[in-house]
Amino acid sequence: MVTLAQVLPAIILIVVIFALTMLVALYSTFAERKVAAFIQDRVGPNRAGPGGIFQPLADGVKFFMKEEVIPVLSNKFLFILGPSIAITASLMTGVVVPWGPDITLFGKTYPLQIVDIEIGILYVFAVVSVGIYGIMIGGWASNNKFSLMGAIRASSQVISYELSMGLAIIALIMVTGTLSLREIVEQQHGWHWNILYQPVGFILFLVCAFAEANRTPFDLPECETELVGGYHTEYSSMKLGFYLFAEYINMFISSAIMSTLYFGGYNYPGMDAVNEFVGPVIGPLIGFAVLFAKTCFFIFFFMWVRWTIPRFRYDQLMNLGWKGLIPLGILNLIATGAAVLYFK
Amino acid sequence: MLTSAFYFIAFVTVFFAVMVIAAKNPVHSVLYLVLTFFGISANYIFILDAPFVGIVNIIVYAGAIMVLFLFVIMLMNLNAEAEHRKSNAFLIVGAFAGGSLLLIVVDAIRKVDWKSVSGQESSGGAIGSIKVLGKVLYTDYILPFEVASVLFLVAIVGAVILARKEKLPLTVGQISHPVSES
Amino acid sequence: MNLLISLTALGVVAMFGGILKFRSMVMPLSVLGLIGASLLGVYAWNTNQSFLNDMMRMDNYAIAFSIVCMAGTLLTILFFHFFHSENEIHYAEAVALMLFAVAGCAVMVSFTNLLMLFLGIEILSLSLYVLAGLRKKDLLSNESSLKYFLMGAFSTGFLLFGIALLYGATGSFATTQIAYQLGIAGMNGMAAMGLLLLMIGLLFKVAAVPFQFWTPDVYQGAPTIVTAFMATVGKVAAFAAFLRLFQLCFAPSKEGYQLVIGTVAAITMLAGNIMAIYQSSTKRMLAYSSIAHAGYMLIAVMTLNASSNGSILFYSVAYTLASISSFLIVMVVQQNRNNDTADDFNGLGKTNPWIAFALAVSMLSLSGIPATAGFFGKFYVFSSAVSDGFIWVVAVAVISSFISIYYYFRPVIAAYSKQTHDPVMTMPAGTQALLILLSLLTILLGILPGFIAGII
Repeated sequence: MVTLAQVLPAIILIVVIFALTMLVALYSTFAERKVAAFIQDRVGPNRAGPGGIFQPLADGVKFFMKEEVIPVLSNKFLFILGPSIAITASLMTGVVVPWGPDITLFGKTYPLQIVDIEIGILYVFAVVSVGIYGIMIGGWASNNKFSLMGAIRASSQVISYELSMGLAIIALIMVTGTLSLREIVEQQHGWHWNILYQPVGFILFLVCAFAEANRTPFDLPECETELVGGYHTEYSSMKLGFYLFAEYINMFISSAIMSTLYFGGYNYPGMDAVNEFVGPVIGPLIGFAVLFAKTCFFIFFFMWVRWTIPRFRYDQLMNLGWKGLIPLGILNLIATGAAVLYFK
Repeated sequence: MLTSAFYFIAFVTVFFAVMVIAAKNPVHSVLYLVLTFFGISANYIFILDAPFVGIVNIIVYAGAIMVLFLFVIMLMNLNAEAEHRKSNAFLIVGAFAGGSLLLIVVDAIRKVDWKSVSGQESSGGAIGSIKVLGKVLYTDYILPFEVASVLFLVAIVGAVILARKEKLPLTVGQISHPVSES
Repeated sequence: MNLLISLTALGVVAMFGGILKFRSMVMPLSVLGLIGASLLGVYAWNTNQSFLNDMMRMDNYAIAFSIVCMAGTLLTILFFHFFHSENEIHYAEAVALMLFAVAGCAVMVSFTNLLMLFLGIEILSLSLYVLAGLRKKDLLSNESSLKYFLMGAFSTGFLLFGIALLYGATGSFATTQIAYQLGIAGMNGMAAMGLLLLMIGLLFKVAAVPFQFWTPDVYQGAPTIVTAFMATVGKVAAFAAFLRLFQLCFAPSKEGYQLVIGTVAAITMLAGNIMAIYQSSTKRMLAYSSIAHAGYMLIAVMTLNASSNGSILFYSVAYTLASISSFLIVMVVQQNRNNDTADDFNGLGKTNPWIAFALAVSMLSLSGIPATAGFFGKFYVFSSAVSDGFIWVVAVAVISSFISIYYYFRPVIAAYSKQTHDPVMTMPAGTQALLILLSLLTILLGILPGFIAGII
């Protein structure tokens, strides 16, 4: 039988990562507005607390207090199920990310990863593809044509871009020879970051990550000018909050995964020397901080793009996905295969 | 432990599979089918110790194919009212045929002397691991693997033929005039 | 193996013919390629080689049926070329699909592993689904394609369940292993269930009663050339796979299911022939006749003795020759008279004597009149069934053959004894010559059956 002592570290880690994810998502909304203000030469929210630091909390409270509207002609169960699936799926992806090297506390070593499965990358893919159902179900259950259009746009976009993302990943796997995120990170120890071996693959992955997270310039599912609010037109109160949150969590997790896959995860140059100097407790925490910094950079990058590049038209989006990225992905795959064959 | 887990998962899977055909609303049917696929994947992952197959099952079936199903059903706005009602005679005959088949299956399986069924003992826990799977796929089963690519090529060519636009009036049967590509 | 690779490569070449605009080369290349692949088959005769962990075995049975299928495809592609300009949209893709389909046939007839059987059937079926819907703006063609697809997918389900149960019972997909395990343990319930489901799936594919209901609509709605392709190449490959599966895996326990197949065969022959009488459209009549012929061929599957292979091969050749030419004649009549009832054949003997001759020969062969190939086809099948003691099945077969004469002769009588004021029928160059060639081959095989009989 499994004792509590055995699962306790995992439970603590789950709670910590859950809290962290929520916090990051919460403050991403704040950061988004601050970055937008910075790029547009404004001040941004600055009323709640010093420099507006409590703004997300105020927003959160507002979401909870808003009136809850469920359309009369909608399917109530599915209407509630939609946002629940969306946020559950986005929270589930964090499980396989290795957040830091093994940490030693009270004479015992614990991994800073909730679970290391052999097929970590595929797990992420599966969860992301299930996340679509949140949007599709919500959009359909609203019984509103704008919601439906938004939902259909979202899912066709995600399916299309999953293909090229998969191609980028396959090329990466050919280099690493493993699907476990942990092993991929360990292989990048020091300066052997995968970005050096897979630059094209990274660009493909990045573009697809934008599309998968429904971020500008691919935010057509909720394009205000055409679809009012897209799939969440009919949603209000915390259900809307869940959808918005799910999007920010997706952004956070995809940033973390990009850092893990291509930018060495928690590895940084001179890591061994630092670890020896600070010991087995602080060292892993520094590793975690490095991963977090990389992730924050990508989150900033997501926002940077959002306030710089206008939205695509839908046919442009599909053209880019099917006629641009997929052929590029296949070429990258062939080139990688040839290189692996030649050098190994 | 494993046996009871199997019975639980199998029961859930079969239950959702029954709900697929019992549900009145086609969208609900699709959602139940998705749950059925989850049940099957759970079997792969927890009982058969083959996480790769299980996850790929979710990615391909639940993540892509069923979404396309959902697409079509949502876009065509199919619902219970739009469904063409079958006559009762049809239902009775169908139930009779399906029921007899079920009866035969159950009876045949019930009479099996399970000790005589050799089956293949799984060679340890590694049978479903991705390394073993890859090795088997690219050595023992390389020919089916390659022939499957012909199958996909056919599917692609077929999709191109069916999807390309033709400027022709609709007809019912008989002769159509040859179309030239302009 | 070389045969399979070259067929697939040929399909890819034809496909690129459409993309890279060398359409005029597609037909000659395909014809040459099919001849070349057949020669590769002839070259591998008697080598009896098995490939890649015993996934497929190119024994004489496989080679012979591959060549029959390739010959059928060759004729189909030639006729397709005659009737469709190469500038037509989808010309090259359609040819490519036919070539892929015949590659699927080559897999189906040479498998020694159930996975290969499944893949072969799927490659063939998938090509046929699309080919049936080739005329996209024709509602009947759409109906045909969709019906075929839905029914085909359904039957594939049965096939897969059967394979899965058989795997459960024996622990293997390989036919040798399955036969070995069944030999040790005998047919247990699970294996028997697998056998039954496999049988249902395959009976669907060969369109035997009671799994025939999709056939008339599909055959009628599809473009006529595609119908000819489905009814000949598709059916021959399905039967070859059916027989091969039973010979390799289930021959020792044949007593258990012979009665089932025999009954299905008897019902199929009777129902197919009787339904065919009531059809006014000749194309639909031929669809029912193909159901009836499935019944005759099932007799060979039922007897499952040493002569089954040879008799079903001869039957396939005879049936392919006669069917392709009769479908082609129907197509010519359709294009000239805009319909294909028996009345539309009026006066064909006067206006187009050679076409009428080809019609007469193919109809005679289909009904099994002596001095045509069809006679010996039936003769071999029936005699081996009689020698195994299945008198009742053969009796039903003979009775239904007599019934079939009635409807086969209707267009022939119309062609020779009725008058018409319609003009001489026109058709693309080469059609008539090829039809005459097919008729002569039919007669030749009817006089000298030794060419093919007993070859395997």
